[in-house]
Amino acid sequence: MNTSQLERECLTYTRYLIGRVPSQYVVNRYLDFHQKSDAMSGLGSDNFDHFLVSISARAPFWARMADSYASVFRKGSIVRKKLVVTLALLECVAPSCEVFDNADGRSPLATLASLGWRAARYSFLFGASVVVFTPVRVAMAFSWKPRAEAMLEH
Amino acid sequence: METIVVVGSGASGAHFALTALGKGRRVLMLDVGHTGQEVVRPADSLNQLKHNLPDPVTYFLGSRYESLVLPGAAGEYYAFPPTKQHVFRSRPEFQHQSSGFSPLYSFAAGGLAETWTGGCYPFSNRDLKEFPFGYEELGPYYAKVAAHIGITGAHDDLSDVLPWHGELMEPLDLDEHSAVLLDSYKRHRGYLKDKFGCLMGRARVAALSRDLGNREECRYCGRCLWGCPNRAFYTPSLTLDACRTYSTFQYVSGLYVDHFRLESSKVKSVVAYSANGQTHEFAANSLVLAAGTLCSARIFLESVYRNSGETPELRGVMDNRQILMPFVNLRMLGRKWNANSYQYHQIAFAVQGAADEYVHGLVTTLKTALIHPLVQTLPFDLGTSISVFRNIHGALGMVNINLPDHRRDENYITLDVGATPHRLTIEYRPQPDEPDKLKRTISTFRSILWKLGCFAPARTVHVRPMGASVHYAGTLPMTDTPAPLTCSKYGRSHDVDNLYFADGSTFPDLPAKNITLTLMANATRIAEEAF
Repeated sequence: MNTSQLERECLTYTRYLIGRVPSQYVVNRYLDFHQKSDAMSGLGSDNFDHFLVSISARAPFWARMADSYASVFRKGSIVRKKLVVTLALLECVAPSCEVFDNADGRSPLATLASLGWRAARYSFLFGASVVVFTPVRVAMAFSWKPRAEAMLEH
Repeated sequence: METIVVVGSGASGAHFALTALGKGRRVLMLDVGHTGQEVVRPADSLNQLKHNLPDPVTYFLGSRYESLVLPGAAGEYYAFPPTKQHVFRSRPEFQHQSSGFSPLYSFAAGGLAETWTGGCYPFSNRDLKEFPFGYEELGPYYAKVAAHIGITGAHDDLSDVLPWHGELMEPLDLDEHSAVLLDSYKRHRGYLKDKFGCLMGRARVAALSRDLGNREECRYCGRCLWGCPNRAFYTPSLTLDACRTYSTFQYVSGLYVDHFRLESSKVKSVVAYSANGQTHEFAANSLVLAAGTLCSARIFLESVYRNSGETPELRGVMDNRQILMPFVNLRMLGRKWNANSYQYHQIAFAVQGAADEYVHGLVTTLKTALIHPLVQTLPFDLGTSISVFRNIHGALGMVNINLPDHRRDENYITLDVGATPHRLTIEYRPQPDEPDKLKRTISTFRSILWKLGCFAPARTVHVRPMGASVHYAGTLPMTDTPAPLTCSKYGRSHDVDNLYFADGSTFPDLPAKNITLTLMANATRIAEEAF
């Protein structure tokens, strides 16, 4: 995968996860991870997995949509792994780590209400993601070939 | 002066050696002795490290991202820090196969307890009922170990089951979550005791609440999990450092001890290999195996095979089954938390009847562990999961429940001499009624937590595989009556005259309490009484 695509992923995923732009250090580490790890090699993944990565890198909204869908139907997908890598990098580094280290400081009741609102929002987005992505997945299923198999054919 | 050869530098070996040196004996310690990285920026708190380190990702995730937990990875709730990866670095000579058991080994200087969580729980007379001695004999050695390593504790309800052996320091400062839990317990203690036989109190931990020797008291910097920067938290490598101050101590690292040679049913020498395959042989007047139950068994079995051609089965291997039970304390929801606190358990449970026997629980409210392994398990997209997690982080806790184990003949260790190199073989079958005991224990602890105002989701309860607690014991037990493949109450082998065992191999039973303190006390006792 080319560097500019990976940089775009890192930028979009960071904006989606914490609402900020990543530091150059985080971007470099994101690239470094993809160089050193074979976790994203794509073996065993299908075209729909790669479609999710591709669309999620377009904008934070699409990252959330793809992630919502993957949170139920594709927990071990590449897009989910890339998001977890971004999260892991952000939590190790200042100033992004501060986002994870601070609670809102509300009362238990207010916190429960807030959690309920977030869960409802997630449910809505998940429903939307099912409507959007299921037809794509079904369509791709008819033309599916494992990537490793496809590579061997060449 | 005769030299005692000690194999292994873990909790048992280091304490045996220090005591023998204190008695004026000469000690040669043989060890693989892997070591980790130097402490970085010791004055910084964990959060300051994230700001001040030039390359924080390498420190927290590792240079090859080995501490990064990706979706689909089977495992634990906490990522293992890169600073401690050396503890589980293996040696190619050591091969094993197992059934029903997932063993962990260490070839690190200081052994497996370099990654322990500091729990120091003395065995009572009831715990020692299968041992050839009682608390009266072991108690003074608990106190001696406490004076050396520094243990904090409080005289509270747990003193009913945790003997008060003396030399204990005042407790560490409680973090807010632990204080809230103890406060709940105080309001419901009568009910909890009557209904569940549940006692709760301050944990006994090997961390300093005041300076001890050249070690400083805990600074509450939040770096416990990553390696205490000011040595307030005890690990056996500190005792190894103390041994090194004796001119009569020789520490030879980089050597994998394979076997000993016999002459007239006595150990004549010890054979070890360096990393480049070179063979080293050391004459031994007395040999003390303290390499940990499994590694000591490997050395013993290899030696028996080389000297007799036999491959006996060491029966009765034990380990504590562990259950991890995450929970949310509803009173702590939305609260801000202080990362600058002691990170390991500060509260302990004693439950008398959860599985018809004493069950031991430790409550951890870890704040500074990496969060990505946990966040990805929440049932939302990651953006929502981060928001949710931030607001429940201060309310999260984990109970680590230990169940007892007992020696049973069907559980054994032997050596597969058909393989090259020879392989340690471990067979373990849990008791038939274990599923029922686990179910009752889980139910009891969930009810206790609910009474304390905490919710423990059933689907997050994790029964760890046998072997995960690393409390291995029982392969060459202490007995009053001499018998093959056993040892005396002073760890002296009943098969080989000048061979001693000073680690968990010698335990004839395994109570639910963490065993490390008793390993140290027993090794000290053996060195004091037998040499």
